[in-house]
Amino acid sequence: MKSIPAVVYREYLLRTTSLTWLFFDLFMPLIYLLIFGIGFDRALSEGIMMKGQLIPYNEFFLGGILAMTSFGIGMNTSYGFFMDRDNGIFYEHLTYPMTRGEFLIGKVLFNCVIATVAAIIALGLGSWILGISLSVAHLPLVFVGIIIGTAGWFFFLMIFALRIRRNDMYNTIINLLYFIMLFASSLFYPLDLLPSWLTTAALINPVTWQADFLRYFTIGVGDLPQIMLQSVYFLIFLAVSFYAGTVIIRKIA
Amino acid sequence: MNNRYAIEVVNLTKMYTPRGKPSVHALKGISFTVEPGAIFGLLGPNGAGKSTTIKILTTLTPPTSGRAVVNGFDCVHQPLETRRSLAVVLQQNAFELYLTVLGNLRTYARFHHIPRREADRRITEVLDQFGLYDERYTHAIDLSGGMRRRLQVAKAFLSGKPLIFLDEATTGLDPINRRTTLSAIREQASKGSTIVLTTHLLDEAEDLCDRLVIVDHGSIIAEGDLHDIKRLGVPAYTLNLIFRDVSPRTIQFLKAQNPLHFKHNATAAEITLQQSHQQILDVIGELDRDHDLVHFEVHTADLEDVFIDLLSRQKEEPV
Repeated sequence: MKSIPAVVYREYLLRTTSLTWLFFDLFMPLIYLLIFGIGFDRALSEGIMMKGQLIPYNEFFLGGILAMTSFGIGMNTSYGFFMDRDNGIFYEHLTYPMTRGEFLIGKVLFNCVIATVAAIIALGLGSWILGISLSVAHLPLVFVGIIIGTAGWFFFLMIFALRIRRNDMYNTIINLLYFIMLFASSLFYPLDLLPSWLTTAALINPVTWQADFLRYFTIGVGDLPQIMLQSVYFLIFLAVSFYAGTVIIRKIA
Repeated sequence: MNNRYAIEVVNLTKMYTPRGKPSVHALKGISFTVEPGAIFGLLGPNGAGKSTTIKILTTLTPPTSGRAVVNGFDCVHQPLETRRSLAVVLQQNAFELYLTVLGNLRTYARFHHIPRREADRRITEVLDQFGLYDERYTHAIDLSGGMRRRLQVAKAFLSGKPLIFLDEATTGLDPINRRTTLSAIREQASKGSTIVLTTHLLDEAEDLCDRLVIVDHGSIIAEGDLHDIKRLGVPAYTLNLIFRDVSPRTIQFLKAQNPLHFKHNATAAEITLQQSHQQILDVIGELDRDHDLVHFEVHTADLEDVFIDLLSRQKEEPV
């Protein structure tokens, strides 16, 4: 386990060389919440109906924004992986005195810290500026959801960074994934209002599983048994992505 | 595990099966050993299997069959222990583009578990050794190609590991930087490190290596020290001749010796002959008597001649 701090140190050094990157990771969720959230909150002034309850859009959107934080950080790290592979340092990392597991854990740990800080900023400033009341007792579970979610997205998106060799292909696929996975989910709107094909797509989308979990534990709206089941699905998704990532790392050289 | 050798390779094979393409037999059962403290050269043309061998020995890829033991550790079953005992300069450039030279070295030192004070001492040492001190705050992305390569080699030497792999380490270096790197390799070996070198620059291998293996199409075609390898090649001598005048008669005489290589200008000629040393003396005697020879030098075949000869024989009689 001695190598994990070295991986975290490396990630830290790299992130701090690019304040733009760090800013994107830490503040984009808050900016999204303040601009997109406020815009839709005004447009849907009466709020939106979910599970028979009328909820202000800002409150509804908060859980989605936190899921988006995890996904965005996973996506940025995936791009970092792609670049590391492209400039060769990735292969050198694999010759360092550490296990592949330590390498991945170090990376995911750093990303979870970044995601947690971004979530604290979004939750703290977002709820203060927009007047969203949070369920403080459930906040530890919110952070568990963010950490597990970030790990899941990190391992899932890493697979694309390790499998795709062309930059244009990688960017196209990642952007397509971003668009499809975020919009075919419960991140921006409740599933009750969607046509059945889109609801079905959203229900098998891990973004929905994470967003529903985070929404329930931030504002207390949702179907708890279904959320518990979705949490199990997400854990399976995390395990499969982790397994696939490690297999690919072993084969890639 | 036998720890007598720094490297022990037994019957190593590697088969790649690219999707939708026929399998490639990159290594076809090669075996060799490397003594601790040696500078060992792994030579061969492009696609011979050199980099695949390095990838297996550094645990980047597993062999299809056979055994590879590094510093007493099995590369397949003890990958972590293997990696703890080596440092690598890979063929492709590998550095943290957005970190400074110092940042790259510090990160590398952390990954190799070098205590901070010791790391600072070694970093200063390699910065001086590789002429990188003035560039220590420059980002790797802003370095020239040669400087980047030096940084990469500097990292490997910073590690202080008993075994260092240098895969085409001097490729892209200008002559001055190349000389610096070569002297650093010698210095490191004199401290007891084992160096494994792959290179296309055969004069470099000739100059540095205690022992050589030449691979082609995944098989070893020659192995031994420099003299052993040279003995395997065609016995050939290169004559550098200076005349008062290279006459048509002299040219005719030289061509009549069936040279492997011949070129001339108005007063000088260079000819490579595949003949016994007595025959060479006879040729020189005749040139001295009948062809106004002013000066001559005789060289035996260098590693490059032998290398080309062995490879061309290999093409004629494939393994």
